[in-house]
Formats: sequence, structure tokens, C-alpha cells
Amino acid sequence: MKGNGIQGISGAVRWLLQAVSGLLLIALLGVHMIANHYIAAGGLRTYEEVVAYLSHPVVLAWEVIFLIIVTFHAVLGVRSVLYDLGPSPHTQQWIDRLVGLAGIGAVLYGLWLLWAIT
Amino acid sequence: MLQETRALHPVRRRGWKGWFAVRKRHLGYVAFALNRLTGLGLVLYLIIHLVVLSMLARGPETWDAFIELAKSPAFLLLDVILLAGILFHGLNGLRVILVGLGIGVHRHKELFWGLMLLAAILFIFGAWGFLVV
Amino acid sequence: MSEQKVTFRVFRYKQGDTAPHYDTFTVTVNERTTVLEALQAIRRDQDGTLVIRHSCHHASCGTCGMRVNGKEVLACVTNVLELGTPTVTVEPLQNAPLISDLVVDMGPFYETFSQAHLPFVRRSEYLPDAEVAEGVPFHMRFESCIECGLCVSACPVVASDAEYLGPAALAAVWRVVQEPRGTEVPPLLDWVNSEHGCWRCHVALECSEVCPSNVDPGGNIMALRQELVRRALGLSHG
Ligand code: HEM
Ligand code: SF4
Ligand code: SF4
Ligand code: FES
Repeated sequence: MKGNGIQGISGAVRWLLQAVSGLLLIALLGVHMIANHYIAAGGLRTYEEVVAYLSHPVVLAWEVIFLIIVTFHAVLGVRSVLYDLGPSPHTQQWIDRLVGLAGIGAVLYGLWLLWAIT
Repeated sequence: MLQETRALHPVRRRGWKGWFAVRKRHLGYVAFALNRLTGLGLVLYLIIHLVVLSMLARGPETWDAFIELAKSPAFLLLDVILLAGILFHGLNGLRVILVGLGIGVHRHKELFWGLMLLAAILFIFGAWGFLVV
Repeated sequence: MSEQKVTFRVFRYKQGDTAPHYDTFTVTVNERTTVLEALQAIRRDQDGTLVIRHSCHHASCGTCGMRVNGKEVLACVTNVLELGTPTVTVEPLQNAPLISDLVVDMGPFYETFSQAHLPFVRRSEYLPDAEVAEGVPFHMRFESCIECGLCVSACPVVASDAEYLGPAALAAVWRVVQEPRGTEVPPLLDWVNSEHGCWRCHVALECSEVCPSNVDPGGNIMALRQELVRRALGLSHG
């Protein structure tokens, strides 16, 4: 039985997506951590420094991609943990809707935040 | 008949607590439990992180005041815990991916310890950077 | 042979009990006594109501699986003194319906397992150069899995997801994929490529640690996944 949305794709592809997003995160999160904790004086950036940092288009693009990939990976991960609890097909549908909405919400919110300060 | 008698027999199942029932278990089990713990911890952190960042939208005063607070030792300790979580989850995740692709299935313990050595080195450098620089 | 007294803390449960409890027995053992023999001695000399199950006494039938000091083992090949603990705790397998004391209902396990349609015999991988007698196509042997259910008791995912197919059945499907022997493979791959199939596994590999018969269920699941990934990417056909 194939459903829509996350359930519609085969388990193999879903696992691959979790793996590929994880691999990308090594690079994305690595740079994110270094840039935000080790470059600025004293580690963390002041408001002005944040704005200056994000004004660079490559940096902005990097952070947007990071936002999307990390949310995607987290959504698949939380879904997987909840599915391990053996939910009924009905509950599975609700899990997919909830984690999907939470993910879309998080990305939209992040994009709005970036737009608001740049 | 079979169904009826079966209903009389309770199944001893640990449920989600079983994920963390690592006593007497082997390395892979412990790694799984920690991967799950750190993965969920990182999601929690991500949510908090996004909420905290909303202070940016409220302008320089709010943000810069928060940054002063965030430079206090208590907050820096949280960052060090975060770093440990990321390094464990990320590098163990790499092992899970490799093993899932059939790489190192029978050397997964050596792979684990190799990656954890790398994690430890990165952690020492990283934590030193957080606390001292 | 030197004899020694060992304390056994044995899980007890009878139908109708509100909760299980543990009974303590002292048994005299020697260097060669197995946990199964000690339990048989308890049943014979101390408490005839102790329910245990066994058959072959040599790790072939897979009926004496239980948890000894928290680990899944075949009681018939587990040496008491080699455990090295003054008290030996004996409990039934987890994740299966409990019938009485140390005996669980293997029915649900067999039902899932049999859906893999694993034939009993396989081509032997040992002594590939050995001469084959006339009229015999090739050397054969039994499949490794003795259907003891130890892996299913040890798996952290079966602990929370009753629908998870579990390590033994998934490993059996891989054996069929490897060597179909006339069984249709695609329906089996669909069966394991499901929400409660091989993607629920999180590589704890505890199943392979406890398997007494070198099936390496965890390794087989990883092989199954590779095959499914290859097919999803269109790299493999058949
Ligand atoms: C740094 C690079 C990362 C890598 C290589 C990585 C890799 C992985 C892999 C391979 C899995 C699957 C584990 C399994 O099915 O057993 C996984 C699960 C998960 N990841 Fe990550 N991950 C990374 C970062 C993150 C981050 C930053 C978060 C949080 C936002 C996160 C959250 C999760 C969650 C919640 C799970 C599910 C946990 C579970 O199934 O036990 N991961 N990760
Ligand atoms: S490797 Fe998979 S099947 Fe084996 S114990 Fe771990 S989660 Fe269960
Ligand atoms: S795979 Fe191993 S542990 Fe699992 S049922 Fe078969 S023989 Fe027993
Ligand atoms: S009695 Fe047959 S496997 Fe132990």
C-alpha cells in the first residue's frame, strides 16, 4: 500500500535521503559552526556583524541551504523515531502531516527571519 | 481458539525504553541509543535555536544584550555539550551510512572507534576554541 | 571434577498471576554443567512446576532460547561456571507472548518467519572443491537459522514496534534473494521494503551479537538494503 507524501516514496529512497542529507550536513553544519563560533571576535556575532556576514550572497545561500537540509533531515529523523513506536496506519498519516507541516513551518520561518534582517 | 489462548499471554515488550536498555548490550546497541538521544537532542536544540534567533528581528539592542548573556560560562557550557552531540551524531551517522551501504559491516566496531577518535580530537580543539578564544 | 554451589534467580509467571516474580534456587554444578541442565535439576529435585522447553541439547533445535544474566542464549550450550557470576539470573525471551515461566509462544515469530519462504536446505559453501557423488547435483547443507528467536528478543526496534518484521525474517529474505531456489523474489522484496520492513532497522547489530548460529542477521539486513537501494536507483534488475 502506497500513500501520498513521505509515505509515497519507497523506503529505499527515504533511507537514501536521510543518508545524503546527513552527509551534506557534515559540510553544511561544519561550516555553520566554524563561521558562527570561531571567526568573530569572542566567538559570537553582534547584530551588526550578523548583518554584515549575511550580506555576502554565497554565505546567505549557504545558510539557506543549511536551513532546508537540516530541517529535512530532522523531519525524516523524528518521523523514523515515531514510526519505531509501531503506530497504526491512521496514526502514521497524522505523523507524516505533523512532521511535514512542522518542517515547512520551520523553513518558512527561517526564510522570513533572514529576509527581515538582511 | 489459538487467538483466544494467545490473548491470555502478555507480551513482555520494553517499548521505547528498550531503545535505551543498554545494560549488557554490545557496542552497536549503545551507539544506536546514543545516536537516537543526540539526534533528538539536536532537534530540540534546533527548535530552541530558531526561537532564540527571532530576537534578531527585534533589532540590535535585543540581540546584542542576548549575545552578552550568551558569552557567560553557563551558556558556553551548553555550546560545549552541543558540540559533543553534533560530533557524536555526525560521525556515528557517517558509520551508519557506510555500514548501510555495505561498507565495513564486519568492521563496524573498528570504524566506530576510529571515528570517535576523530570526534574526540575535534572536540578538544572545538571546546578549547569555545572557551578560550 | 570439582563441584560448586551456584544460586539461580529464576523468572516465574503462571497464567492468572498479576505480576511475575523471581524464585531463588541453589544448584550444585561442575565445570561441564549447562544452564539447561541446572534448570532441569531444579525441576527434578526442587520445584516440579518450573516450566522449561528444550529438545536437542546441542544448539540445533532452537527451542531453549532464554535470557541468562540479561543476554539471549541457548541454555543448552551455556556453561554455568563460565558465566562467572555467583548468581545466575534466568528469564524468558522478550517481545513474545509469555506462556509460563521460561517458555514463550513462538507462534507469532514462526508466522512472520515463514512468510520469507526460506527453503530448509541450501547449496553448501564449504569445501567447494570436494568431490560430489554421482546423482547429487552439489553439496547441500541446512540453512543456518535455527529459528530460535534470540535476535528478535534482543532487537531494540522489535521492543517498540510489534509490527516490525524483525531480524530473523529479514535475514531469511536476504538468503532467498541470494539463492532463490525457485522462490519468486520481487514479492519478498516488496514485503521487506515497507514501513515495518528493513528500514526500521537502525543498525544496532545486537541481533548478530546474540545469534548462536552465525546467520549474521544484521549483515544480511544491510545486504538487503543495498539491494533495495540499487533497485531504487535502477542499478539492479531481476
Ligand atoms: C552532522 C551530520 C549528520 C549526519 C552525518 C547525520 C546522520 C544521520 C543518520 C545516518 C541517521 C539515521 C540513523 C538511523 O536510521 O539509525 C540520522 C538520524 C537522525 N538525525 Fe542525523 N545526522 C547529522 C546531523 C543531524 C542534525 C544536525 C540533526 C538535528 C537537527 C539530526 C537529527 C537526526 C534525528 C532526529 C535522527 C533520527 C534518530 C534515530 O533514528 O535514532 N541529525 N542522522
Ligand atoms: S541491526 Fe536492526 S534488526 Fe538487528 S538488532 Fe539492530 S535494529 Fe534490530
Ligand atoms: S537469525 Fe540467528 S538468532 Fe535469529 S532466529 Fe535465526 S538462528 Fe536464531
Ligand atoms: S535444546 Fe535444542 S537448541 Fe538448545
